[in-house]
Amino acid sequence: MSRRAACRIVRRRIATDALVRAVRDPAAGAVVTFLGTTRNTNAGRRVVRLEYEAFVSMAEREMRRLADEAARRWPVRRVAMVHRIGHVPVGEASVAIAVSAGHRAEAFLACRWLIDRLKEIVPIWKREHFRGGVVWIGAQQGRPSAGRARPRRIGRRRRASG
Amino acid sequence: MRVRLRFFASLRERLGRSLERNAPDGATVGAVWRALVAERPELAAMQVRFAVDEAYVAASHRLADGDEVAVFPPVSGGVA
Repeated sequence: MSRRAACRIVRRRIATDALVRAVRDPAAGAVVTFLGTTRNTNAGRRVVRLEYEAFVSMAEREMRRLADEAARRWPVRRVAMVHRIGHVPVGEASVAIAVSAGHRAEAFLACRWLIDRLKEIVPIWKREHFRGGVVWIGAQQGRPSAGRARPRRIGRRRRASG
Repeated sequence: MRVRLRFFASLRERLGRSLERNAPDGATVGAVWRALVAERPELAAMQVRFAVDEAYVAASHRLADGDEVAVFPPVSGGVA
């Protein structure tokens, strides 16, 4: 169902109204949306912002593949997935998913499955800027990966806004 | 044969965006990576995944001359 799936990597703030419009469908009785937002703490660290990097062409292709698979698993009408890259301030969305379906049950199931799978396989990496340093976040645990936390220069600290 | 390795995220910071490598004809992705790790032992602890032509491949995938292999650290995950 790639034709019906809008999957994109963007560098600016995610336009959630456009995301919802993208899944509008006269046969849909439900639209479920998910936003993943930048939390101000992680593993005891005070997060200032997150920075995302993607293998853009492959990431969009993998998202379309996931949308196709979701449509095989559940009777969904349309899927839209957007991931933001670059710096994302605390409180803003880094990822957004919208799913329309005839009924809400399958829309919730598909949306939940899509965000879980996106985090497992779509080639996007996250670097956490926290008070006192910066670290790449690996794997699925939200913990630092093998690359160790690297202290930042003193005097460049910023306050978390959230 | 010549193949190109392309790196992302923490790997890109350590190794740069890409490297060209010589490899025996028909070498697997895993063999090319192990040859690099032999030169850079600090990479040995990294769990990586590979992609060729924008699709994930196993370490046993055989390469052809001119192929580009994307080498990934674990993807972002996180608990939203």
